[in-house]
Amino acid sequence: MSAWLLLGVLAGIAWLRIGWGYPRPAREWLVLAPREIAFIQAAASATFPPGGAIPPSGADADVPAYTDRWLRRLPTRTRRLIRLLFFLVEHATLVIPAPGWRGFRRFSSLLPGQQAAVLEGWRTSRFRARRLVFASLRAIVTMGYFAHPPVLRRLGLAPRAIRTPVCEADLLFPPIGRGREAITHTRADLARPRETTPLDATTPIDPRYAEPAP
Amino acid sequence: MSADAGEVRVHADYDADFVETAEAVVVGSGPAGAVAARELARAGRRVVLVEEGPPFPPSEFELDGALSMARTMREGGLRATLGTVMPTMQAICLGGGSLVNSAICVRSPDFVLDEWCERYALKQTTRADLDPHYDAVGQFLGIAATPDAVQGRRNLLFREGCDALGYSSEPIARNVRGCRGSGECFTGCRSRAKQSMDISYVPDAVRHGARVLTSARVERVRVAGRRALGVEGRVVAPFTGRPGPRFRVNAGVVVLAAGCMATPVLLRRSGNLANRSGQVGENLRFHPGVAITAVFEERVDPLFGATQGYQSLHFLREGFKLETLWAPPGVLAVRMPGSGLELKERLARAPHSVVWDAIGSCNRSTGSVRARWRGLDPKLIWHLHRDDVPILTHALYRLTEIAFAAGARSVAAGVHGVPDELRSLDDAQILRKREFHPADFVTGGNHAFCTTRMHGDPAQGVVDELGRCHDIGNLYILDTGVFPQCPSVNPMWTSMALAHRSAQAIGAEH
Repeated sequence: MSAWLLLGVLAGIAWLRIGWGYPRPAREWLVLAPREIAFIQAAASATFPPGGAIPPSGADADVPAYTDRWLRRLPTRTRRLIRLLFFLVEHATLVIPAPGWRGFRRFSSLLPGQQAAVLEGWRTSRFRARRLVFASLRAIVTMGYFAHPPVLRRLGLAPRAIRTPVCEADLLFPPIGRGREAITHTRADLARPRETTPLDATTPIDPRYAEPAP
Repeated sequence: MSADAGEVRVHADYDADFVETAEAVVVGSGPAGAVAARELARAGRRVVLVEEGPPFPPSEFELDGALSMARTMREGGLRATLGTVMPTMQAICLGGGSLVNSAICVRSPDFVLDEWCERYALKQTTRADLDPHYDAVGQFLGIAATPDAVQGRRNLLFREGCDALGYSSEPIARNVRGCRGSGECFTGCRSRAKQSMDISYVPDAVRHGARVLTSARVERVRVAGRRALGVEGRVVAPFTGRPGPRFRVNAGVVVLAAGCMATPVLLRRSGNLANRSGQVGENLRFHPGVAITAVFEERVDPLFGATQGYQSLHFLREGFKLETLWAPPGVLAVRMPGSGLELKERLARAPHSVVWDAIGSCNRSTGSVRARWRGLDPKLIWHLHRDDVPILTHALYRLTEIAFAAGARSVAAGVHGVPDELRSLDDAQILRKREFHPADFVTGGNHAFCTTRMHGDPAQGVVDELGRCHDIGNLYILDTGVFPQCPSVNPMWTSMALAHRSAQAIGAEH
């Protein structure tokens, strides 16, 4: 009986350590659970802290929202693997602590300096599997950061506005998920002149990435 | 052939099970399949071209790299090999890889073709045999060297570095018309300059009467004895893969061009078809890619210029090809070392940075393709052979050398055990002196070959040099799986040339 009680207490503690205390999100998410949102936000902030050479931080870039959209598009099996990766890094410090005071906490509950140290440990590990985990996480967070238009504008990498010419194929198939009636182009559109000037820094930024008007 | 005989059917067009009858069914609309479908249709054959993915009009292009790959690539762009873990991407869309590649067209070098002929008992795959087919494809697609006007500074710096060192280099020949140097090849060309199959060969096949079934997944090749009868499968919803109505295509000739990964899985799912040699799914090879990021004093503005505009074939015989590279910024930034403010500092140098890559002809590194226990996705096992590692380190060293010769301030090689930043060629000597392990590299391998290799001896290969299966006379395989070894250069043009030749042979024989 006492063994069962002990097991129950340990299970309760484990549950509290792993799953309790994450803030409830203010809105609906497509895929991510509260613990994953907290983890990604923490990982993004540790990877791209405030200040430095690029003003927006990982937190400013709302990396969790991007990750949520991206995960939604992945096949189920791949999505599960990615979420497992989040779980692994978030809770690894419950087994191998982060350096410093109170290192036995979930990644998202660590101090920023500890989070950075933990990520550096994954990055420079002599075990390739750990480095791969880091590389995968860093890739996700980085792609989310670079989806933030102010980051791209700051680096001169925001996509440019391009007027897409109509070609014969556009008369053959409609947008994905639509029927043939959604083909709006006609043969007359094929005769429209094409833009030929090479793009350069003077080409206007694509409206989706342009700075909003004040 | 009447102008309106052909058509492209999309997911919304299917509401019930259906049967098609054709003289030839082609599975896969990538470079090889599209060429075969067009050539057969042009020869007056009734052709059905079947593609699992949907057509992507430009309104569907995503400018963000990861979001784009999640829609246009199999397994969301996150497919990887086991063994030596390496990402590898295969497209799932009308036009296949041509929609999302950088349009590089290179003829396989003479020494490669000679080796193929000698080692694999091939008699008609010499330069002289293939050149007319390269020419025909090149003419149709307008393959031409990238002009300086759209090179952009990051490509021209590569040329300057090669010139300074006396290494040969050349503008890359591409299947584009009217490129504006947007560097967006990997997410779909909004300028409609890239002559991907969906806007070139497929429309022309349709013009000649081909019927194109998109969002239609072939699940089995039907056979009776030693004769293929056609294919059957399910309609699948774009992106989700949700199965819909069943279909069957009865055809006198079956052409598989589903790609080096999918074709062997399809053959195995069809009862281990065409596999008396035991070579189906074996011999998987890649061109593993490695890359450097070099930072220059001058502003490079890497966003502008052809995605891959310059190359050096100088070291082909040593096992690698060097080329310039651009990709969506988020994808390239993944390679940047470091974390925190240090990482931000490095990323802030992006306007002064270039990325150059090398692909290795790693013929000792082999693997296999197997069917997973469910579905049609492959299980890929591949190992980077220890003896192929020097090819990659040598390639990285040469890229670094070229970068410093062009005036780079620093280079990041992205190899475990090498300093994050190399500040001089002396620093880069570590790449020559130290012995590296396959696990030290971050590689990517999007050129895959050999899983249904051609061989003159039926006991050692799956198809003959015309792509005809040794076991089944009216079943052809035309994707890069038929290459007997790595071609040492980007495979698209060779694949199309071989498909062009095979289509002519099919037209003549059947």
